[in-house]
Amino acid sequence: MGKITYKRLKGSQNMRQRLLLATLKSTPVLIEDIHAGDTLPGLRPHEISLLRLFEKLTDDCLIEINETGTKLKYKPGIIVGGSHLVHDCGFSRAIGYFLEPLILLGLFARKTLVIILKGITNDSKDPSVDTFRSTTFPLLRHFGVPSEGLKLEIKSRGVSPHGGGEVHLTIPTVQHLTATMWTDEGMVKRIRGEAFTTRVSVQLGNEMIYAARGIFNRLLPDVYIASDYRKRLEAGNSPGYGISLVAETTSGCCISADTTVSYPRGDEEEDIEDEGKKELIPAADVGEELASVLLEEIEKGGVVDSTHQGLLFLLCALCPKDVSKVRVGKLSPYGIETLREIRDFLDVQFVIKPDPSTGTVILKCWGSGMKNLSRKTT
Amino acid sequence: MAMDSGADGQSHKAHRSRHSGASAKKKTKAKNKDQNSDQKQQNPKAFAFRSNAKAKRLQSRAVEKEQRRLHLPVIDRSYGELPPFVVVVQGPPQVGKSLLIKTLVKHYTKHNLPDVRGPITIVSGKQRRLQFVECPNDINGMIDAAKFADLALLLIDGSYGFEMETFEFLNILQVHGFPKVMGVLTHLDKFKDVKKLKKTKQRLKHRFWTEIYDGAKLFYLSGLIHGKYPKREVHNLARFISVMKFPPLSWRTSHPYILVDRFEDVTPPERVQMNSKCDRNVTLYGYLRGCNLKKGTKIHIAGVGDFSLAGVTGLSDPCPLPSAAKKKGPRDKEKLFYAPMSGLGDLLYDKDAVYININDHFVQYSKVDEMGGTTNKGNKRDVGEALVKSLQTIKNPIDEKLEKSKISLFSQNPNSSLEAEDHNRDSDEAPKLIRDIEPLKQYQSNGEEDESEFDLDSSESSDQDEGVPECAMLKSEGRNFEEGNADASERLGRVKEQVEFHNGRKRRKAIFGDGVDHSNLKSTDEENEGDEDDDDDDDDNDEGENDRSNEDNESCSGSEFSDGDEEDLKSEEDGMGNISKWRASLVERASKKQNINLMQLVYGKSASTSNTSANEVKDDSENEESDEDEFFKPKGQRAKNSIEGLDGGNINTEDCSKSTKFSELKNWKEEEVYESIRDRFVTGDWSKGALRNQMLEAKTEEDDMDGDFEDLETGEKHESHQKDDSSNGGIQKEDDDAIEERRLKKLALRAKFDAHYDGSESPEEETDVQNGGKFHRSQANDSGYYDKLKEEIELQKQINIAELEDLDETTRLEIEGFRTGMYLRLEVHDVPFEMIEYFDPCHPILVGGIGLGEENVGYMQTRLKRHRWHKKVLKTRDPIIVSIGWRRYQTTPVYAIEDQNGRHRMLKYTPEHMHCLAMFWGPLAPPKTGVLAVQNLSNNQAAFRIIATAYVLEFNHAARIVKKIKLVGYPCKIFKKTALIKDMFTSDLEVARFEGAAIRTVSGIRGQVKKAAKEEIGNQPKKKGGQAREGIARCTFEDRILMSDIVFLRAWTQVEVPQFYNPLTTSLQPRQKTWLGMKTVAELRREHNLSIPVNKDSFYKPVERKARKFNTLVIPKALQADLPFESKPKNIPHRKRPLLEDRRAVVMEPHERKVHALVQHLQLIRNDKMKKRKLKEEQKRKEVEAQRAKDEQVLRKRRREERQERYREQDKLKKKIRRHVEA
Repeated sequence: MGKITYKRLKGSQNMRQRLLLATLKSTPVLIEDIHAGDTLPGLRPHEISLLRLFEKLTDDCLIEINETGTKLKYKPGIIVGGSHLVHDCGFSRAIGYFLEPLILLGLFARKTLVIILKGITNDSKDPSVDTFRSTTFPLLRHFGVPSEGLKLEIKSRGVSPHGGGEVHLTIPTVQHLTATMWTDEGMVKRIRGEAFTTRVSVQLGNEMIYAARGIFNRLLPDVYIASDYRKRLEAGNSPGYGISLVAETTSGCCISADTTVSYPRGDEEEDIEDEGKKELIPAADVGEELASVLLEEIEKGGVVDSTHQGLLFLLCALCPKDVSKVRVGKLSPYGIETLREIRDFLDVQFVIKPDPSTGTVILKCWGSGMKNLSRKTT
Repeated sequence: MAMDSGADGQSHKAHRSRHSGASAKKKTKAKNKDQNSDQKQQNPKAFAFRSNAKAKRLQSRAVEKEQRRLHLPVIDRSYGELPPFVVVVQGPPQVGKSLLIKTLVKHYTKHNLPDVRGPITIVSGKQRRLQFVECPNDINGMIDAAKFADLALLLIDGSYGFEMETFEFLNILQVHGFPKVMGVLTHLDKFKDVKKLKKTKQRLKHRFWTEIYDGAKLFYLSGLIHGKYPKREVHNLARFISVMKFPPLSWRTSHPYILVDRFEDVTPPERVQMNSKCDRNVTLYGYLRGCNLKKGTKIHIAGVGDFSLAGVTGLSDPCPLPSAAKKKGPRDKEKLFYAPMSGLGDLLYDKDAVYININDHFVQYSKVDEMGGTTNKGNKRDVGEALVKSLQTIKNPIDEKLEKSKISLFSQNPNSSLEAEDHNRDSDEAPKLIRDIEPLKQYQSNGEEDESEFDLDSSESSDQDEGVPECAMLKSEGRNFEEGNADASERLGRVKEQVEFHNGRKRRKAIFGDGVDHSNLKSTDEENEGDEDDDDDDDDNDEGENDRSNEDNESCSGSEFSDGDEEDLKSEEDGMGNISKWRASLVERASKKQNINLMQLVYGKSASTSNTSANEVKDDSENEESDEDEFFKPKGQRAKNSIEGLDGGNINTEDCSKSTKFSELKNWKEEEVYESIRDRFVTGDWSKGALRNQMLEAKTEEDDMDGDFEDLETGEKHESHQKDDSSNGGIQKEDDDAIEERRLKKLALRAKFDAHYDGSESPEEETDVQNGGKFHRSQANDSGYYDKLKEEIELQKQINIAELEDLDETTRLEIEGFRTGMYLRLEVHDVPFEMIEYFDPCHPILVGGIGLGEENVGYMQTRLKRHRWHKKVLKTRDPIIVSIGWRRYQTTPVYAIEDQNGRHRMLKYTPEHMHCLAMFWGPLAPPKTGVLAVQNLSNNQAAFRIIATAYVLEFNHAARIVKKIKLVGYPCKIFKKTALIKDMFTSDLEVARFEGAAIRTVSGIRGQVKKAAKEEIGNQPKKKGGQAREGIARCTFEDRILMSDIVFLRAWTQVEVPQFYNPLTTSLQPRQKTWLGMKTVAELRREHNLSIPVNKDSFYKPVERKARKFNTLVIPKALQADLPFESKPKNIPHRKRPLLEDRRAVVMEPHERKVHALVQHLQLIRNDKMKKRKLKEEQKRKEVEAQRAKDEQVLRKRRREERQERYREQDKLKKKIRRHVEA
């Protein structure tokens, strides 16, 4: 009936957070100039896929895209969730790209979300599905999400370029989150991890594990890296290997790092053939590098790693009207962007104070008072 | 007998017990003995449980009772000073509402209130303020009043009894969260008969109790003394009010709201002159209640609509609580009150000015003087004269009040106010210039025009004009001010904040500024102007101001007094004298911001501005970011390339949460590298690791200090002192270490104390907050979960308070918004002019904040129940007016009920005594919100106006209500088990839609729709070349159907819920007019004199069924011949013409005839015999039956006796046993 006033935004940056926050706060948004200057203007395939996913989960949402795909009108609906959902994430971004907004969306849905996601499970750009299982879910527990309902099963793994992975995700709904005071980062007590290979020699996996252990062993004896070597159907369509590591601290923080090595996705079909000949990084180097990355994350400090900063801030901002306080390492660009989006959408600002003695940053915020409005009362 | 009857007429002599003498002695003796024996025989175990079952039952009952008492603890997130409690006085007309308020105000403040208009705030005690509001008498006003009432005083005319208004209001209260309620009976002096009075009281009390709860307080006000309620009773009532506790209500604790106690039009007058019906800008003042208000929040003004806030400013409290000095009760002088709408506040605080009005009869100097005062404005008066004048005018209470109250010329949070103002000024720049040229005329004319209105213009002038000569101001104000006492020319002293700076202490200043001391004002006028210009220039980034601001900086040192955190800032400004304070405050603000250096990096400066002005267009967020980054160049140690890269205009960067780069990794194999993080592992040094966390508290406080910023405007750099000092040498560092250590120790101690303190103290605090106090202690130990829950809440509260205390005022405002209890000034733009035109102070304005997602419209599903006092059921799609949350709107619901299988079936009418679902379209409200439905808003209606109550279940964008549909068709051609059905569908497309659907004939033969009938089979066009008839379906059945069968298809069809809602704009029309919205069908019919359409087919008629005639079964002869005898038809029908054999005559032989006759005789005899026997048997049977009946009766009697006997026996036995047990 009444005229809808859209919040006007520009560019495709932070599409995920923007759409997520718009949906949670049910603000209609109008995004212009999406890749307007590029040779291939308009929305990218993964962005379209993301929109599809949002459409699938919500009721009565309205998505309008102009012909060139540079302008997007999004009027969010009510988050419904539900089971028996299947979504093909495509091959341009990994499942991790979709999982980040999906988790928050699922928490504030009407019904428990059970969804099958197909596509690339591991990739170097996005956090891998292993990381979600090992780090993100424990993170949610700090905000009052029951850990029983959270489930992520990896049915098959798929790496770029051809994907073929499949994960089953279950996310319970919550009435509201609970604010947290989470500044104690503790000390690393154990390191866990998972190395996987698809359609390559199992030996590569073992090499990665060996190399990674070699670095950790000087610091900590409690290191266990599991191996997950997939075969046949479970291994997806492309060869690749990767490793994800998690450092657990005495105070229950999980700091993760992961990477995947596979053949990159070419823009055209022929390129794949050419690049197929390119040599991949040796497995031993991958293990060593990733172990170093993890140590670097640990060095930065904070209760989460740099990858999870955005999610952490979002969770803090979506809490009830209480004070949340968290400590993170150096603010990552993604985290900063998220903070800005939170400010724009939820009107929640963080008090950011550096702690120079440790090189960490302490963030405080007054939650937005978000409640799950779509859940039915009895 | 006769004697008895005679005695009956007399009254008996009452029994007189003996007080002395023998019998009296005997009695007392017996009594004493009895008591003694009682004491001796008292058995402590006498009342213990003997029966196991009984004990268990009682125990479970006790537990149940306890559990019933528990409520889910509610988090009260209002920290700090509470806003005044709203006491709504409600009742039918002529029951004494205004009088009650007047007497209460008189009781509290010793002031006579001429008339009650708008909220009246008073200080009722050391810790408590009250705001009295009279509830208007229309249903809209009642609904609004119910939404802000903390306590409702229901006035009831005792001589008349309850009226519908009371019950309606109670119902409204119940739906919108039940605040405290107290009944007050008035007009009790009309009863002459004491007994009757007592009875009536009793009756009314019990009726009141059934409505609320047993024991609800009903207060009696017996009659009037000198036109006022008796002092003692009012005092008691006030006592009751003062001890009342107000539990938090869930809707209100989650939404900010303001009861507007002052309302002003601030539209530029030119705009109004050009077009008197232009949209207006208004300011609304009131205490913030409920929860914190953020600057970006949208608001709903009840009866007007939704608006975004153009500006919010925190003002100093016009009616502050008495100072915390230890004394018993508030002194009379501190019993302040504030009622600007009633024209009585004496002090009006605006964003940047304070107005004092004094009633004429308080001004004691001569008229000549007064004239001089107004006319000689321009001249400087000498100091002594001014002093005398001021002394003359001093009225004790006012004086004291002023001394008491904090007149902040800057609002409490300079940051926001300034910025808000900046924004306003930007927009008002052009009109202001014009105003400066001819201000006097304009205001005078305005004054004349708007005399009937309230003091809009006065505020306007105060707000915006700068160069207006003082006398003109006064004049206009005097004229404009409230109607009633035009002759009592009210004087308005206009005290600009600059005056304060002139003299140092601002408070004093305000006292003198009461309309006489204008000489001072005048002297500072130029400076004022200068300052204002300065302010304007600020916005324009005028470079010419730089020198001045430098001066400010230097002079910004002396601060003499501080009244608390909030005043610190102001005091410093005071010290500055007459130099540009805007600049100074900017500098100050900036210096405050130093500690949020990183915040600037992340948010840019836009963080503060964007939130202050809510009306800014949202789409410029992008520009802002880039702009502000240039504006403030961080000099911090962390140069974040990545951020700049993101800001630099690349708006299409890929979003990727991972940000590690493999190339920049350290070589972690090297020993010194990996040893550097050794302490982060459990294998490292635990103490160092632990220190990391402890350092946090101590460190952060210090961090606040370092970090510096550069004001690009002035070109100067502000560097924190500490940084400078730190460069001095290592001594400082050592000191720092020592300090840090001390601080750590202190912190540890504090934490220890806190933990201890929380544990012991929290339960008691909770009782104060939530419970009635007496329950709590008993249950503290047993209900573990409940206690845990409460403890958690309390803990969270403490954490919140602690964390927020850490922040400075500016940041805190940004983070948590305006706190509850603050006196706010809201500016709203583009309000329809009717709101101003039809404003009526007797109808309080409610401003409610809109929560997350509540501005959206959609379908809502509610569980609704028709009110049992409403006489009719409600019809689907008839418009009703609902009140949800803050809103009232008209909408058209569709009623439904949930079937067993979860289907929502539409109902044409609401059930009579049952809940049903109601789905309607409108602005969304969160689940569990109460809904109240009204159909008729008019006042002249005797019946109960509330038609239904409901609560929101969920939002549903896709309205899934269905109704039953029956498609009827007739066979047009029948094959064996297939038939073509016509008239069921109208097109082949429709047939396709229903393929596979189950159908049935009337006779119960089931079938299925197959496909649209093809042309070839039986569906030929009537004329060749014509189009085939559409919509004929081929269906199959389980048996062959008949042409006379009717085939029907039962299905469910979706019902559309109309997308209609119409907000009630009752504030935009004269109050006495009833709001007109969409009419119900019945109303329309009545208006147009239309009869109700009837469907003839729907009538019930007697069923006429023709007897079915069946054709005879014909078996072919050939077949019949072959049949065995059994199957051969035997009932050969009667022939019309008898057969030849029958027709033949029979002639008997004589012998044969004899035999035949004999046989006939014999048969006759036998028949006769049989008849006789039958008769005999009949008689015999009757006799036997009679006998049996008799026996039966006897038997029954005996049985009953037996039974009685048995029961008696049993009862005796039972009694015996019981006695035994009890003994």
